[in-house]
Amino acid sequence: MQACPSCGAGAALDAHFCPQCTKILPLQRRADYFSFLGLPRKLNIDPAVLEERLRTLSRKFHPDYFYNATPAERRASLERSSYLNDAYRTLRQPVARIEYLLKLEGLAPKNPEEASRQVPPALLEEVFALNEELDEIRDLRGNGGAPEVWRARLERARQPIEAKRVDHEAQLQDLAAKWDAGASDGDRRTILEALRDRFLERNYITNLLAGIERELQS
Amino acid sequence: MSKVVGIDLGTTNSLVAYVKDGAPTIIRDSRGDGLVPSVVSVGDDGKIHVGREAQRRLLTDAARTAYSVKRFMGKGREDVQHEAEHFPFRVSGEAGGVVRIGLGDREFTPPEISAFILRELKHRAEAFFAEQGEFDNEVDRAVITVPAYFNDAQRTATRDAGRIAGLEVLRIINEPTAASLAYGLDKRRTGIIAVYDLGGGTFDISILKVEDGVFQVLSTNGDTHLGGDDIDVLLMDVVLAEMSAASSSPSHVGPRFGDADGAAEAVQEIRKAVIQAKWDLSEREDTDIIVAAPAGTGGAVPYKRHITRAEFERIIKPIVDRTLPPCRQALDDAGLELTQVDEVVLVGGSTRIPLVRRSVGDLFGQTPHSDLNPDEVVALGAAIQADILITGNRDMLLLDVTPLSLGIETMGGVTSKIIMRNSTIPATGSEMFTTAVDNQTAVDIHVLQGERELVPDNRSLARFKLRGIPPMPAGMPRVQVQFQIDANGILSATARELRTEIEQTIEVKPSYGLTDEEVERMLLESFEHAESDFAARLLIDARNEAEAVIQATTKSLRDPDFDEIERTELAAGERKKIESVLAGLKMVLNSTDRETIQKWTQALNDATQHLAEVMMNRSVKAALAGKNIDNV
Repeated sequence: MQACPSCGAGAALDAHFCPQCTKILPLQRRADYFSFLGLPRKLNIDPAVLEERLRTLSRKFHPDYFYNATPAERRASLERSSYLNDAYRTLRQPVARIEYLLKLEGLAPKNPEEASRQVPPALLEEVFALNEELDEIRDLRGNGGAPEVWRARLERARQPIEAKRVDHEAQLQDLAAKWDAGASDGDRRTILEALRDRFLERNYITNLLAGIERELQS
Repeated sequence: MSKVVGIDLGTTNSLVAYVKDGAPTIIRDSRGDGLVPSVVSVGDDGKIHVGREAQRRLLTDAARTAYSVKRFMGKGREDVQHEAEHFPFRVSGEAGGVVRIGLGDREFTPPEISAFILRELKHRAEAFFAEQGEFDNEVDRAVITVPAYFNDAQRTATRDAGRIAGLEVLRIINEPTAASLAYGLDKRRTGIIAVYDLGGGTFDISILKVEDGVFQVLSTNGDTHLGGDDIDVLLMDVVLAEMSAASSSPSHVGPRFGDADGAAEAVQEIRKAVIQAKWDLSEREDTDIIVAAPAGTGGAVPYKRHITRAEFERIIKPIVDRTLPPCRQALDDAGLELTQVDEVVLVGGSTRIPLVRRSVGDLFGQTPHSDLNPDEVVALGAAIQADILITGNRDMLLLDVTPLSLGIETMGGVTSKIIMRNSTIPATGSEMFTTAVDNQTAVDIHVLQGERELVPDNRSLARFKLRGIPPMPAGMPRVQVQFQIDANGILSATARELRTEIEQTIEVKPSYGLTDEEVERMLLESFEHAESDFAARLLIDARNEAEAVIQATTKSLRDPDFDEIERTELAAGERKKIESVLAGLKMVLNSTDRETIQKWTQALNDATQHLAEVMMNRSVKAALAGKNIDNV
């Protein structure tokens, strides 16, 4: 419970407005993005529903409508609008949504940058093979190899990685569906850990592909 | 209760509008003119002239007259070095500091110049409300528009200009978004709208989704240095090159300013001539560029040249083409295909140019809309937004985005992004900082805006000094800095050390802006200079009136059908009479004798009355042509 600063009445922690005096409440304790928007903590979100939530809540919070209000209410309106927009931006993209869920559930990597540099164990073999191939291709280029030759080899080197990416997208979707279906506490943990591993691997794969793309462009 | 207005503070022209009984309306002067040229001139006596009067002074006192100052808002001396040589006024300022504009013996910052224009609009609105018999006619609050692609420094400079002019700036809103509000008002539109806004100095493209009265900007892109001014410069270059090739003494009209006496004014005559030709070519296939002799020199027309629309289009095509990649980028950012755009809306005076319309139409594969006057639609939207803020009317809501990513400098001069471009505003982002040496109590933070990787490629917004960090071993403090972009697109920051929960103070040094104290001082100074001289105002009104008649007459005389009209409808000597009265009025236009100006204006009105009737009849006939007489 929180106390409304205007009338002192009690309000639920994730209420946006005081049930007693209807004034906008300050954003002291931040509800998670899902409950702030009034959405279940699920990974498949209909974009139309998300947009509808943005419009509806904007019409309640937006600073445009608090121009004549007290400074405290104006501040609350700015905070709630910002939080709403941040929530919308995060939950709009499927990948950011997974990352956010992992953070909420306490499974986010402590240092995301470090995690993105470490080769995930499941990819060691592919990454090792790719790096060897890339070294050879660079040598070939350095020695004046014909562009169509090294480009073709790069394309070939990309294919297994691309296949991995497709595979990972499918696995992530599968796990997301499992998560959304609801599970017992033990299963939840297993699903989340799998989500985290596939998520980190996916990020790594995306970076690998971007690296190959850069080599192709140069 | 005092009044609120919406203001379009444009590069070339500015307008003020208000909402009456739910309908936005442009506030015009007594002649029905809604545009105030964004020109400011300082007289020899130190008097400040704004608008039409200042525009006239470009031809007599160019060095004391500033125009297109919007291009300098929020800029540093280094940013404008190259551009400054195109202007007749002095551009200076300390290295690394805000630009200063020298007019006569006075120096102004761009927000101060803009404040003169805003004050003129404020006066215009107050005079209007007084005439309406309003009890409290003071205008003290306004919504002011800026190009969507303006960065934080440019927005802040605009807000400062409002404060210096004695206006509380309720909100800074983006021009294309304002235009969409004005369009959305009369028709309840739903769908994806692209707003293409090419003004005097800036270009914006915004992609919006409109549903349930919510105008949600999905993405925006643009160029704050691209507009009609650039077209004028290209045409002037052509004229200047031909003039100096033809002249035995090329230095007579120097291509650059400030050297010879009257050179700056001569260049302004050329500028005026090419702008007239540009306007002509939006209506016809060909015209003449006619450069008048500089004021006071008498003499014959020093330059005249025929130009066709095809030639004009060849010259300006590079400018128009530069607007197309931002359109594609904006669509890409919105995750949309060209074919998904339901409507395209044109805003800004430069969209009258047929090549612009054609290029936009070709890109989007549909005919763009321009049902509302492209010069006025932005001010109308600003008035609607002002009304929403004051009345709390919830029928419509704007959800805008920040045009550029916000970031901070990290190790190795790399920019780390904290709030991505096209994020809906208000928005927040936070970043953790720590210390590098034991017992360090302050940290410097360099805030930037832009999309590039390296710090020097982005726009420096400000340097924050974070003070009051509790002494701890190096790396121990965890200072969370929260960045907030408000609904105006303007940044603020707060900081807190998380271990001790101690709030830090942030000292902001804007890179190219004014401090609060400077704005305060300018506001006080402006009161001292703001004496409004009634007689001077009447004189200005008389000149405006005279100029309007001169313009209308000149236009009639240049009409392609004029020769035929003269042959068939005018009395012998009628043309000669008009021409001589026209020359007479031009002669007295710059005098300070109001009655003489009014006398000549009346004389020209009388002399052209018959011609005006004839032309009116012809256009009525032309409009009816093809219709059966029985149907009329």
